[in-house]
Amino acid sequence: MQINHDFTIQKVGASYVAVPVGETSKTFHGMVRLNETGAFLWKLMAEKDCTEEELVDALLAEYDVSREVAANDVHRIVEQLKQNNIFI
Amino acid sequence: MFVIELAGVRIRIENRYPFIERQCRDFMCEGEDAAFAVSVTNDEIVEEQKHGEFSDGYCESICLYRHICEELPSYNVFLMHSSVVEVDGYAYAFTAKSGVGKSTHTALWLKNIPNARVLNGDKPLYRLESDGSLTAFGTPWNGKENWGENISAPLAAICFIERGLENRITPATEDDVIGRLMHQLYLRGSRQSVTQQLMLMDALVRAVPYYVLECNISDEAALLAWNTMRKS
Repeated sequence: MQINHDFTIQKVGASYVAVPVGETSKTFHGMVRLNETGAFLWKLMAEKDCTEEELVDALLAEYDVSREVAANDVHRIVEQLKQNNIFI
Repeated sequence: MFVIELAGVRIRIENRYPFIERQCRDFMCEGEDAAFAVSVTNDEIVEEQKHGEFSDGYCESICLYRHICEELPSYNVFLMHSSVVEVDGYAYAFTAKSGVGKSTHTALWLKNIPNARVLNGDKPLYRLESDGSLTAFGTPWNGKENWGENISAPLAAICFIERGLENRITPATEDDVIGRLMHQLYLRGSRQSVTQQLMLMDALVRAVPYYVLECNISDEAALLAWNTMRKS
């Protein structure tokens, strides 16, 4: 999965907000709100095309969680982003 | 062509129709130097006319403000769709979904609160100051009631208005504030501009207290909001 380049993500208050820029802002109205983990994964997927497994590995390298928890988090966030139609 | 000053930023308006000149007359300033210039193409005016039966001059004005609001974040200034009332030197902002009754509630403030006057009824600008506070500024774009003046005041509080059978006001949580603000900010333009607007939004959520007001159309609704939001 790789995130559409036409998004920008920023920390707003305690959470993260991603919104479309340029041409995408004309067709995608709204925002994606993410927690710390979501924003971490978002940034990885914005840089390059990642599989869920690569994302789980990256999460495990960064946070002290079990593989099962990490896999669940990754799957949930990826599904949420799929529904928002923000992958290339 | 003429120059206006909005929220302390000098902007050159390169217009084709006279409509905007009349609209901006209270904001015009001397000289030709400006931070940036804005103009509108014929295609943009044609596109704007698809939204309704409006004159070329009116459509040009709408498009010019859109361009202005895409440039202003670089100067720590942003648009928030809201109605701002100034009372005794402080600005109180109301925002709501379209048609909920921002103007009605604003009118109730004017009727019930001594010294209240409308800073801008629809599209004011806000500037982030170096101490993290916000200042609200009047603009020539002030909604169909044409309520507004070329004045500014430090922002005291922001209130989200909803219709209710009874009047009730509660503090809004940050999570709630972010969701509600997204609909009222103008998050368009280049990557740099939108990123800057989100950084301003981060400052905005911290700058002032937020409330949700459920209200009916009554004098009590305005007094409840005023007594809760007022800066002592």
